[in-house]
Amino acid sequence: MLQMNDIRKVYRTDLVETHALEGFSLNVESGEFVAVMGPSGSGKTTFLNIAGLLDVFDGGSYRLGGKDVSRLGDRAMSQIRNRSIGFIFQSFNLIPDLDVFDNVDVPLRYRGIGGAERRERIEDAVGKVGLSSRMHHLPSQLSGGQQQRAAIARVLAAQPELILADEPTGNLDSIMAREIMDLLEEINRAGTTVVMVTHSPECAARAAREIHLLDGRVVDIERPPALIGSRQAR
Amino acid sequence: MLAYNLRIAARSLRRNPVLTAVIIGGIALGICISTTFTTIRHMFTRDPLPGKSARIVYVRLDNWDKDQAYPKSAGGGNAYDVPPQITYKDASALVRSTIPVHQFLSYISGLVVFPDRSVSRPYTDRIRFTQSDFFLMFDVPFRYGHPWDRRADAAGEQVAVIDDATNQKLFGGGNSVGKTVRIKDRSFTVVGVLAPWRPFIRVYDLINNWSAAPEGIYLPFAVGTRMEARPSGETDVPRWAPPFGQDFAAALRSELDYVQLWAELRSPADRAAYQRFIDDYVRQQKALGRFPRPVNDPVLSLRELLTDMNVMRPSVTAMAVISILFLVICSLNLTGLVLGKFLARVPEVSVRRALGASRADVFLQHILECELVGIAGGAIGMILSSGIVRFIGKLITDTTVISLDLEMIASAVFLSLVAGFVAGLYPAWRICNTQPAVQLKI
Repeated sequence: MLQMNDIRKVYRTDLVETHALEGFSLNVESGEFVAVMGPSGSGKTTFLNIAGLLDVFDGGSYRLGGKDVSRLGDRAMSQIRNRSIGFIFQSFNLIPDLDVFDNVDVPLRYRGIGGAERRERIEDAVGKVGLSSRMHHLPSQLSGGQQQRAAIARVLAAQPELILADEPTGNLDSIMAREIMDLLEEINRAGTTVVMVTHSPECAARAAREIHLLDGRVVDIERPPALIGSRQAR
Repeated sequence: MLAYNLRIAARSLRRNPVLTAVIIGGIALGICISTTFTTIRHMFTRDPLPGKSARIVYVRLDNWDKDQAYPKSAGGGNAYDVPPQITYKDASALVRSTIPVHQFLSYISGLVVFPDRSVSRPYTDRIRFTQSDFFLMFDVPFRYGHPWDRRADAAGEQVAVIDDATNQKLFGGGNSVGKTVRIKDRSFTVVGVLAPWRPFIRVYDLINNWSAAPEGIYLPFAVGTRMEARPSGETDVPRWAPPFGQDFAAALRSELDYVQLWAELRSPADRAAYQRFIDDYVRQQKALGRFPRPVNDPVLSLRELLTDMNVMRPSVTAMAVISILFLVICSLNLTGLVLGKFLARVPEVSVRRALGASRADVFLQHILECELVGIAGGAIGMILSSGIVRFIGKLITDTTVISLDLEMIASAVFLSLVAGFVAGLYPAWRICNTQPAVQLKI
């Protein structure tokens, strides 16, 4: 699904060069649930930006869904973001003056899906996250957990192959966080690849694989076979 | 997608109504000024007689002094240094040409009109002595009746055409064909009543105040001669010509330039033939001791004459250009406001980019918003401009004759779209090049 090989990313200012990623390589198989951990400044956000085609990189190669995405133009990258990638943000990033229905509608609009199908997808996705009764509420009228569920509904409606989530429970209390993780697990079980950056060992423990970053490199990959069983037993 | 982008744009405009109003107001001001001045220019430059202007020609002859050219007007018009009108004897000779399909002679005279005593006291009016083809060639609109015919021209019949205002004044309106109007010491039978008619430029007489309203009463040219109606408009006499005193018959034989000759020709070949006819006539007259200067008798089409007589002043074009530059400056000044408005929306744009909006989508969405503002500003500007051009029309010509026609409305809509585009181009380019990764913490 996601193959990064020897990725290098340098942030430059007049005075200093910061090597955010240096020789970064990672393979994520289709249908995997991967947690990415590491201290602040280890390159987690840079990795997600590049993985989500929101930023360019200086060296190495990146294949997504078997396709080399290193040198694509803006329109092609936008199409991949729209069709293949779903983002879940720590701060939800709902558009404040759109209600839940219209927020979930945004990626479908850019895909050019017809009105009837859009409505069907939106109602289905919003129903799955339990927000049907809040369909026409603005984000400001929702709790943090409800906002994150609306953001997940936005991803569900778009039906991407890969979900990139950055601290999806970072702004939520423990009960809400568990609900969100349950939803992510459910989505992953349905076949969608999930790559999640988190500081929380509890959240990371629910992934099939944990990857640890330090100074822009992958330093450790944990793949405890027992974890899958424990996750299923939970 | 267009409808979706329009919805987003409309929502964005509603989000900050004060800022939106300021931007719309700026564009409205620019459109108002530019539309006002381009409309005034348009009134001067548009074809006064579509389809005919190239075929209708005006005759001038240089009967001026041998050692001194006819003086140019103060405005620099009259590139041919030739008197703008011709003598009665030349006009009478040239009008016999069979080359034109239509032609007429014309001059104005101030005469006393005697209404019915129960209606009004006698008053002096500027009366145009002309020929029947005048009405046909210049598309003069009739409400009742019709022009007199060529037979009436030849016989000098005492018939009259009056305008709508004169009809109201003398007869209280209505169909007055067949009624009698007394002018000076004669009675004239009304054969036609004009519909209200107020050309912006009185193109059939560019010599005697082209911006004035058309005359109220029209009588056959031959009657003017018979009545000894003296010209009351512009006249010229060269210094070499013998004096003619107060004798009207002598004036007709003299070098007094007061008659205007217009002709309508079928084709460029006819125009060339007509020019040769005029040249030949001048050469004949030179042989008889007249026309001391070299042959200089330009036959100009109506459009050429408008330029030569300097009706269309360069300053009018300059003002129109300056007004459009003003609109551009308004739009550029608004760029800062629009940029601020758009940059406040960077987080939303970043989310949209992450969800699949391309740079082109973002650019289009924001340019559409600017075009909505441009159209709203343009609509307000056009309404304001419409009022201002009417006011200016009253200042220039004492009656309202300037208005925004379809061409000017289309031009204003186009300028509104350009203004919106100019105001939004840089801000839309800036925001569509926003790096979403910088704004989004994913």
